[in-house]
Amino acid sequence: MKLNPSLLARIQFAFTVSFHIIFPTMSIGLASFLAVIEALWLKTKKPVYLEIYKFWLSIFAMGFGIGVVTGIVLSFEFGLGFARFAQMAGPAIGPLIALEVLTAFFLEAGFLGIMLFGLHRVGPKLHFFATCMVAIGTLLSASWILSANSWMQTPAGVAIHDGHLTVLSWRHVLVNPSWLYRLPHMLTAAYLTASFMVAGVGAWYLLKGKHQHFARRTLTLGTAFGTVLIAGQVFIGDILYGTMLKYQPSKMQAAEGFWETQSQSPAPYYWFIVPDQDNQRNRFQLGIPYLGSIWLTHSLEGRVQGLRNTPRDLQPRMGLVFYAFRIMYGLAMVMFAVGVASLWLRFRGKLFSSRWFLWILVFMTPSGIIATLAGWYVAETGRQPWVIYGILRTVDAVSPVPAQALLSTLIAFVCVYAVFITAFLVFSFRIIRRGPDEVPPYAEASGSVKNAFRPYVLDSPERLVNSNITLRS
Amino acid sequence: MGNSSKLHRLQPMTAALVGVLFFFAIIGVFGLRLAIAGLAVFVLGAVAVYAAFPTQGAES
Repeated sequence: MKLNPSLLARIQFAFTVSFHIIFPTMSIGLASFLAVIEALWLKTKKPVYLEIYKFWLSIFAMGFGIGVVTGIVLSFEFGLGFARFAQMAGPAIGPLIALEVLTAFFLEAGFLGIMLFGLHRVGPKLHFFATCMVAIGTLLSASWILSANSWMQTPAGVAIHDGHLTVLSWRHVLVNPSWLYRLPHMLTAAYLTASFMVAGVGAWYLLKGKHQHFARRTLTLGTAFGTVLIAGQVFIGDILYGTMLKYQPSKMQAAEGFWETQSQSPAPYYWFIVPDQDNQRNRFQLGIPYLGSIWLTHSLEGRVQGLRNTPRDLQPRMGLVFYAFRIMYGLAMVMFAVGVASLWLRFRGKLFSSRWFLWILVFMTPSGIIATLAGWYVAETGRQPWVIYGILRTVDAVSPVPAQALLSTLIAFVCVYAVFITAFLVFSFRIIRRGPDEVPPYAEASGSVKNAFRPYVLDSPERLVNSNITLRS
Repeated sequence: MGNSSKLHRLQPMTAALVGVLFFFAIIGVFGLRLAIAGLAVFVLGAVAVYAAFPTQGAES
């Protein structure tokens, strides 16, 4: 069997970036959630907020660590799998990634230690400042990376001479046409992810009859944030849809599952299709009449443009874009329904006692992650066959590397990342199973390795005080 | 079927319909102005419900 280096490079990057995005999504959302919780604790002095903070800090820390490590890999992969892309896009993309490290990553890394280990050493207010800095760092990080990726989607501010790219306007590179909409879309996705995770864990404890006080508070926070955020997200998503329809029509044509240059009127909204890319038609399609016209053209009889408007050699694969979009949009609708149901149950005073709703929240725990992944698949597979839209094709961006090298590194990545995800899931489930009462709150730096390994250092700093071991050096 | 039973069934259906209406408004089916208005009303309504109906045990 002859291996295809281009395909392997794409599979490798798709695998590593898909794995990576799970963790920044969680850590962006959880960092801001932790900042809100700590602010509530400082304001109200209610112990439950400190309990929530400690509980989610452990999971945040693990996700943050894996996110950083898997993010570094991606930079190396530009060289390993997509050297021609790095060579061409370097003048525009390189400084953005460097700035992400210099501003966001340094900020996060600098204050993360205080956030994780410092509450009993620096005082609550300075600790809150550290938490805010970490949260701002995650926002900055997302901002730079989204700027770079959005530039690949809607390149601006550059000129190309003899295959070399020159930046004419940094302002246009940074604030490219899709960045203003894609950044809030991604940030809201991260906050939604955290909200549904928090609500799901709270619902699980309520179903099991454990940690009632903690569970009720987390479920309230998760559903309240989730309800408000999902409304904002569908609004931003619709605006982004219009923007991408203008700048990348082929992506949205593929996302809607129509082939004809103009669909029938009224257009249905397809939920299931079996696309036949070679013959430019659907073998089978199932949809809701009128809904396509209503949702996509905002009229009862509007027509939707199909993928045949784009030349064949410039078309993305419809199946991938269509189903990624349906998963993202479908989950958004379910989240919206959950939000409305949570308001209704809150109004009726049954938010904590409706077991059917609690089970839905438990099943919705990973919904934010799945929706975010699907959204990124829409963005990336919908941009194909371009890696920089309209400038550089993906097949022309691949490194002249033997297929065997790409295959062996892909296998290595799969093995190493399997260990990462297993460790993350095992320790996360262990933390959830133990509950907030038994979560090791802070790995206190005692100044002595011997003290650091004593169990009570992890369990209760107060016990340290009682046992005459000084916390502050 | 008694009136109270009918009302009991009608309430969640009304809530669902209102939810669908808000969804359609927010995604811009009725235009951008109504989308912004729908979003604002939904968010304010959600905040009002959470503030006005504290569920027993959630407060400490």
